[in-house]
Amino acid sequence: MPLLEIGLMHYLILAAAVFSCGVFVMSTKRNAIGILIGIELVLNAVNINFVAFDRYQVVGGCDGQISAVFVIVIAAAEAAVAVAICMNLYKNLNTIDVDRGDSLHG
Amino acid sequence: MVSKGRTKLNRLLPTCLSLVLPAVLMCGGITMAQGTTPDAMGSGVPHFDGVQKSVSGGIVEAILFYIFGGTVLAAAIGVCVSKRVVRMATWLFGTLGGVAVLYFLLGANYLGVIQLIVYAGGTLILLVFGVMLTSKSPWVRFECPRGEMVVASVVSILLFASLTTVLVTAEWPAQSQSADGVRIAEFGKELLTTYLVPFEVASVMLLVVMIAAAYLARQDRDDSEGAN
Amino acid sequence: MAEISNYEIYLMAGVLIPLASFFILMLFGPRIGKPVAGWLTVLAMASSCALATITLVGWHADVNTPPDSITGRTVAQQLSIDASHNQFHWADIGSVPIKIGVKLDSLTVIMFFMVTFIATWIFIFSVGYMSGHSDEVDGKSKYHRFFCYLSLFGFSMLGLVISSNLLFLFMLWELVGLCSYLLIGFYFDKKFASNAAMKAFITNRVGDFGFIFGLMMVFFFLKTFDLDQAAIEFGRQFASSTGVFDAGFAINLFGWHVSGAMLATMMGIGLFCGAMGKSAQFPLQVWLPDAMAGPTPVSALIHAATMVAAGVYLVARIFRLLTPEAQFFIAVIGCITLTAMALIAMVQTDIKKCLAYSTLSQLGYMIFGMGVGAWTAALFHLMLHAFFKAMLFLGSGQVIEGCHHEQDMRKMGGLMKKMPMTGITFLVGVLAISGFGIPLMNVGLGGYFSKDEILAVAWDRAYMWHEPIEHHGDSGHGDAGGHGDSGGYADASGHADLGGYGEIDSHGSVMPSDASASSFMLVSDQHGSTGHDTGHADSGHADSGHDDSGHGDSLHGEAGHASGSHALGSVESLKASIPPLPKWMFWLALITAYVTPFYMMRCWWMTFMGKPRDQHVYDHAHESPLMWVPLVALAISTFGASYFVFRPMIADAAGAATDATLVLGLDGVAESAETASGALIHVHEAHHWLAYGVGGSWVIAFFVAFLIYRNGLATGAKLKAAFGPLATLLEHKYYFDELYDFLLVRGCRLAAAVCRAFDTYVIDLFANLSASIVERFAVFSGRGVDAHVVDGVFNGLAAASMDVSDLVRSPQTGRIRNYVLFAAAAAVVVVMVMLYFDGSDYPVVRHASTIGASSAGIQ
Repeated sequence: MPLLEIGLMHYLILAAAVFSCGVFVMSTKRNAIGILIGIELVLNAVNINFVAFDRYQVVGGCDGQISAVFVIVIAAAEAAVAVAICMNLYKNLNTIDVDRGDSLHG
Repeated sequence: MVSKGRTKLNRLLPTCLSLVLPAVLMCGGITMAQGTTPDAMGSGVPHFDGVQKSVSGGIVEAILFYIFGGTVLAAAIGVCVSKRVVRMATWLFGTLGGVAVLYFLLGANYLGVIQLIVYAGGTLILLVFGVMLTSKSPWVRFECPRGEMVVASVVSILLFASLTTVLVTAEWPAQSQSADGVRIAEFGKELLTTYLVPFEVASVMLLVVMIAAAYLARQDRDDSEGAN
Repeated sequence: MAEISNYEIYLMAGVLIPLASFFILMLFGPRIGKPVAGWLTVLAMASSCALATITLVGWHADVNTPPDSITGRTVAQQLSIDASHNQFHWADIGSVPIKIGVKLDSLTVIMFFMVTFIATWIFIFSVGYMSGHSDEVDGKSKYHRFFCYLSLFGFSMLGLVISSNLLFLFMLWELVGLCSYLLIGFYFDKKFASNAAMKAFITNRVGDFGFIFGLMMVFFFLKTFDLDQAAIEFGRQFASSTGVFDAGFAINLFGWHVSGAMLATMMGIGLFCGAMGKSAQFPLQVWLPDAMAGPTPVSALIHAATMVAAGVYLVARIFRLLTPEAQFFIAVIGCITLTAMALIAMVQTDIKKCLAYSTLSQLGYMIFGMGVGAWTAALFHLMLHAFFKAMLFLGSGQVIEGCHHEQDMRKMGGLMKKMPMTGITFLVGVLAISGFGIPLMNVGLGGYFSKDEILAVAWDRAYMWHEPIEHHGDSGHGDAGGHGDSGGYADASGHADLGGYGEIDSHGSVMPSDASASSFMLVSDQHGSTGHDTGHADSGHADSGHDDSGHGDSLHGEAGHASGSHALGSVESLKASIPPLPKWMFWLALITAYVTPFYMMRCWWMTFMGKPRDQHVYDHAHESPLMWVPLVALAISTFGASYFVFRPMIADAAGAATDATLVLGLDGVAESAETASGALIHVHEAHHWLAYGVGGSWVIAFFVAFLIYRNGLATGAKLKAAFGPLATLLEHKYYFDELYDFLLVRGCRLAAAVCRAFDTYVIDLFANLSASIVERFAVFSGRGVDAHVVDGVFNGLAAASMDVSDLVRSPQTGRIRNYVLFAAAAAVVVVMVMLYFDGSDYPVVRHASTIGASSAGIQ
């Protein structure tokens, strides 16, 4: 893997790294907003992949960019709803700690 | 020791942010200027020579990728290691900005702009508002058990390793590089013809989300509280 | 459908008026109150009686109209035939239609009149009787209920009389029995009354069982319940040797081979069993004396005059369905009853019981009359007996009422001075039942005509049967008579092949104009028309010549006439097929004719004559007009009935009603009303010595009774002591009650005890054994199998699933971030597994390799 010739693989590995970071954040942060931030990381990693695939024509046309746009739209919407859910959580449990919201545990 | 380091980092963050934003803008301008020139000549049709030329002349691109890719990765790791939510949000801003620069590098200028506006201008602000509305104190922390932290680290590293292994071992198709200049027109045409239905569905979804968010977050809910 | 005649409407209305009265009393009885309820019943029955009188008068006129020139029928005959077509289709049993209709003939009309007339007077008497008697049961007035029952009885009895259908006759028959039960047990708080009611009811059920049996056979063999249709079908099956008379028809009954003819006999006997129960014939006679526990008007109306006569009426109606064997059975039963019961009556001291046994004996006479073929005489006796026995019972009721509820005759005596009207009317009854009359003169009363005629017919059956008959004027008749004699017991169905008949047929066709004599030809279609005409011609001839021909001839002439539509030859051959009556039966009936006046005179003398034996009773004795007026009315009507209307009308009905296939109604002479007495006399003339023997019986018997009881009871007691065991036997009524008690009650108890022992020691043993086995098994399966095996398996399963679920639920922390971690770890595992097992199969890789195998890639 040439270091100075930037290709698809570089972006994909970077995205994988960011994705792993997102997963780590999601699984370690007890703050609901923190989990939301982890999700954003994951989504961005995915978006990097899409745009890289588009750039290097792994997919035809500009499908990659369009997918990325939809991901951004959905991410924004998700953030809005998620924040609202976080506020409800806070209202009901008087805390933002997601570990407290385990009423459905086995 | 730890707390001292954290205070140091605390002071460091605004500095970093003030550096990142101009850097992003600058890099966006550079990549735009670089991308437009060959595209005007290449008449939008991808061909092997163009790619070769782009790759061969990509030493600047490589430098930029490493700088901003490193930024993105560093910020992501910063999110991982941050204990306070506000700091996590700040590190996230770095990641988002770096990703926007990478979009510019990849010739997706429109997406880069969108990334900055929606994420930096919208989502991140939303998150910060969420933090403010839900914390008794902005510095409140919830410690994760150390065992879980270790497990999560192991899983994440394994995930990264396995993904990388797959990426490396996979046989990828012959690569070509798409042209830069006319892609925005093609993008718009595609969005409103082939992807018209998802586009409209997305708009309806946004409307629904708007209403749903307003409903979920509204202040007084006497009936539900009465039910509780 | 012919037009409904007025008579039918009158009769139906006469039936329904008492029913309406019944419903009114049932619904509003307590509100109507004490005297009014009784008078309402009287009014209802009087209305029926008025209708019956109108019908009787009109019908009597119609009977005596000259026959129609075309049809050869009188108006009454035509109406009767029309009525048989005026039937309301009520229901179907299978393919057999059940029709309601009015059986309109002289017998119906006359029975209807008799019932309504007697009932009216008895109802009036009842009003007086109940005013002097307690009507309270358990402290509540049952006055209205008494008259309510009486009304219901009136309805059902009248309905029974006019019913043209055996099924309806049976229904109303049961209703009559119910009324009897209710009225006997009117004072149901008294043990003896309720016991007597039950005894009557149960004994009647025994008879009705036979009746139902007979009805079933009628239904199965004749496919109809209609009286006329059944008779026609019976004759048709006999003539054509089909159905029950098919030579091959037989059933196997408990190993006995029963032929069709035997079944036909059983059918007749089965129907007669109903009559045995209702008319209290031997051996079912036990209930009637006990039934005297009921109020006296009830005894008079139901248990002397009407209901008990229903049995005789039934036999008269089913006469055409009888076989000679069945008829003989009837005769035997009647003979035993009349003798045995008369003997008991001699020793009775209770005035009502004495009359009850007298009733039984007289009913025996009627049944005996039916059995010997004296159809007309038996029914005539029924009518007369109804009048005078009702009167006698009312008289006894008057006596009992007057003597302060004293029924023992030994305490009475000399009541004539206190109760002159009762004594005189009672004497009229005694004379009537005794057959008072002067031989060779047209003077007599009641039994003198009817009972003596039964005896005359019996004599004829016993001694004059199968003697050569001389017929005057025509040789063909002589031949036929000779044949009848020589043929002996030849099968009647074979007569058509015999030589003499051709002559008879030709004779019949020579003078058909004589056929208009008088005959009831309801079913004449079933018989050869020429033979039918011949029968008439001959009977008319015999009638005119009886003075010369002697008594046997005259009776036979009557016989030929009675069976109207039979050809003479048919009658003769039929006669030949019927065996003569055993002589002992005639003699028993004759001797009883001497016993009857004796016990009646004894009864009257002990009650009304001599010296008062109990001063208290004597002082109390009195009469009330409401009670003696009916007595007088009935006494007068007894006189009237003996002479006018009744006998000729019964004889008029006899032609059709005795037009039987297998048996003969011997005395169905169709006299006109004017010659009634003449016809009666010739019975006595015909049997000269019999006329003296029977007609004089009352003189001897009265004299004997007078001798014995002239000076009180001492002579009677001495005689009783002299006879010793015999008297004891009679006083205990031949120990029938004890016998039944021993056989039936004790037998039932013994059977019950045996059954109980069987239950206790065998069934219970098995039951307990099986129960204990089941219990052991249950314990084993419960404590062993269930508790350890089944429960063990399921508890083990439950515990295992608990353990498994505990294991499974532990990762379900409920924390989102853990789930994320699990998902990521799972993804890692999946990817690693795929890498480990040859990643070249991965679809993306395949896709890539197809695009460009030679690509340099970026690696």
